Amino acid sequence: MTSDVRFPSSVHKEIASQEQDGEGEFIGKRQIGEIHSDFTMDELCERKPPGVLHWTEKHRPQKFEDIKGQDEAVSKIKEFVNHPKNKKALVLHGPPGIGKTTITHIIAKETNSEIFELNASDFRNKAKIQEILKPAIEQKSLIRKNKIILVDEADGISGYYDRGGIKELLDLITYSQYPVIITANDIWAKKLRNLRTKSELIQINEINYKIIREVLFAILRKENLFVEYDFVTKIAVNAKGDLRAAINDLQTFSKTNDISATIDQRNKEQSIFNVLKKVFKTKPTNDLLGAYDSVNMPTDEIILWVEENIPAEYQGEELAKAYEALSKVDLFKGRIYKQQYWRFLVYENIFLSYGISAAKKDAKTNFTRYKKPTRILKIWLNNQRTMKKKSIAQKYAQLVHIGGKRAINEFPIIKQIIKSNPVIQKELKLNEEEVEYLSKF
Amino acid sequence: MISEIWTEKYRPSQFSELIGQDNIVKRVESLTNSLNIPHLLFAGPAGTGKSTLALIVVKELFKNNWKDNYLELNASDERGINVVREKVKNFARTKSIGNVSFKVIFLDEADALTPEAQQALRRTMENYAATCRFILSCNYSSKIIDPIQSRCAIFRFKLLEKKDIEQVIQKIIQKENLTITPEAIEILYEGSEGDCRRGINLLQSTATISPAITSELLSTIISSAKPKDIKVVLEYALSGDFQKSREKLLDVMLKESISGQDVIKAIQKEIWNLPVEPEIKVKLTEKTGETEFRIVEGSDPFIQLQSLLASFVLAGLGKD
Repeated sequence: MTSDVRFPSSVHKEIASQEQDGEGEFIGKRQIGEIHSDFTMDELCERKPPGVLHWTEKHRPQKFEDIKGQDEAVSKIKEFVNHPKNKKALVLHGPPGIGKTTITHIIAKETNSEIFELNASDFRNKAKIQEILKPAIEQKSLIRKNKIILVDEADGISGYYDRGGIKELLDLITYSQYPVIITANDIWAKKLRNLRTKSELIQINEINYKIIREVLFAILRKENLFVEYDFVTKIAVNAKGDLRAAINDLQTFSKTNDISATIDQRNKEQSIFNVLKKVFKTKPTNDLLGAYDSVNMPTDEIILWVEENIPAEYQGEELAKAYEALSKVDLFKGRIYKQQYWRFLVYENIFLSYGISAAKKDAKTNFTRYKKPTRILKIWLNNQRTMKKKSIAQKYAQLVHIGGKRAINEFPIIKQIIKSNPVIQKELKLNEEEVEYLSKF
Repeated sequence: MISEIWTEKYRPSQFSELIGQDNIVKRVESLTNSLNIPHLLFAGPAGTGKSTLALIVVKELFKNNWKDNYLELNASDERGINVVREKVKNFARTKSIGNVSFKVIFLDEADALTPEAQQALRRTMENYAATCRFILSCNYSSKIIDPIQSRCAIFRFKLLEKKDIEQVIQKIIQKENLTITPEAIEILYEGSEGDCRRGINLLQSTATISPAITSELLSTIISSAKPKDIKVVLEYALSGDFQKSREKLLDVMLKESISGQDVIKAIQKEIWNLPVEPEIKVKLTEKTGETEFRIVEGSDPFIQLQSLLASFVLAGLGKD
């Protein structure tokens, strides 16, 4: 496969093992509620034997200026911190490895606050939260005045086992005297719906590969290492916006010098929501062609998702353009089926990603709640209802030498004939239920 | 037992009874009389006599044994070419009964097979050439791959004319003791769209209400069989409510289990009743034609129809 031809993921099924979000490693090294903003990252680093340290920690940004590729989000966050609105909680959401936690730590530093961290496992019961929070709320910080409560990875709060866990979180937001910052991968998870209404949402975007490459080179300079430009680019592109993944890959590569092993590991799955958002909201760029690669879902199903949600995003001319693109998708799909000419998949994919995206004039900033496709369910329900009709049509078709599909198409006319003539019903060997079904017309 | 379903009851059982395809009948009859037929390919619109002629051929060939020597398959109903092949294999395994040395397999709607499946079919035809003759039927011979076409004698059935349909109808009217007005015949012919089966079904359906067939009665039957709510779907779209329009469309399609092609037919007709400028009507018709083409080419009619509705929304906004 050449680089200019991208097949959707469903074509080449070898989706690499899913990457584990590494955010946990970092948290794991701290104690719950430990106040650690008194130390700089470098100080923390010094406490560990050299070589064990992950580059992701070693080269973590320390200032807002060091954060790459998140200018818009950063300015929104600054605004929130400097001019708190009535919503006390800030939710930073986005895929893993793009700087959500890092940004929070920098906010703390810049606003001279200390971070008080809770993670998913703390949201088990009210008593435990209160026990942990009590010192945080009462105790005066010795050095700094402010506190920020960080709830890392809110989607880790299980809605099922931790019954009430989300409610605890909402209570915390309501009663806390300090700003609460929450990070989440998938803010559209059902269990987080109440959280969405109560907090300021800030989307942290995936990072452009060029910026990732820049960061990788900066790290290589600091490490006094040399890696070929092409390899660095490959790692950057392959990370698909996940900076931490790219840094980890670079570190792996610097040890193994095996580029394919490094890259094949990395094929992460984004939720369909994120991809839809990217396709619908952002201006089309060439890397949109691979947008669905990361979605572990057959293309046919993705088409249904897009179909369901086009009207929620586009109106008027944009609507018509988007459907024109989707129509082409289906056209190529039909041609693939009929002619078994699989290269058409390329076009199917282009129209489904870039084509849909290019339907809009400008990038969109509004919030859209994407819906699950409902058509299949409706068809299924309807099939349940029309099973008798099908069986009647099938019997009729055999008797009069036509296909079953044609009998269904002609059903509106023939039902009257069959219904009013018991002899024909007998001829067709209709059972009681089928006769009863007909009598309803 | 004679069927009470008129399409069966009045199905021609001899060559001389088949109407509107004189040339074809003559040639097929002489082939049949020689007791040796090549593979046949019947191409033509629905309800013009393809299956009927196939049945006449086997009845003439095998007389009373025809049921033992005849296999009827419908390509659009069978699940893939492998099922077809399996059935052919089982059927072809035993020798024919009587003095004809082969059996006959009628494969209806053969154009529903993909070109790959047709290639497989070609092999099957070759493998069993000694014991089986195939009669294939299709709407469009262009959808049948060349190697198959070249192995068959091709017969192109033409759409039935008004006089043909009228002849069939008058015969039934007489036999069933019905009456029909001249206007009703006109309406019946239009409603049949040249499809004899459809015409007879419309007649029988109307006759269940009254033996006196009038244009009013027929029109009621015809319109009741048509998707009613298509108008509502289009009105929603023109008023700019795409969501409702699409919802209603799915509803209509599912409840009445009508195909995308039937919907597009109804839309194409409905355009002329819409309160829009002539210029817009032309544009919408063009878009509708394109959509019909894409439904045939594509895989999911509902997606194509939504795309068309989006154009109606634009037309409603005064854009195109």
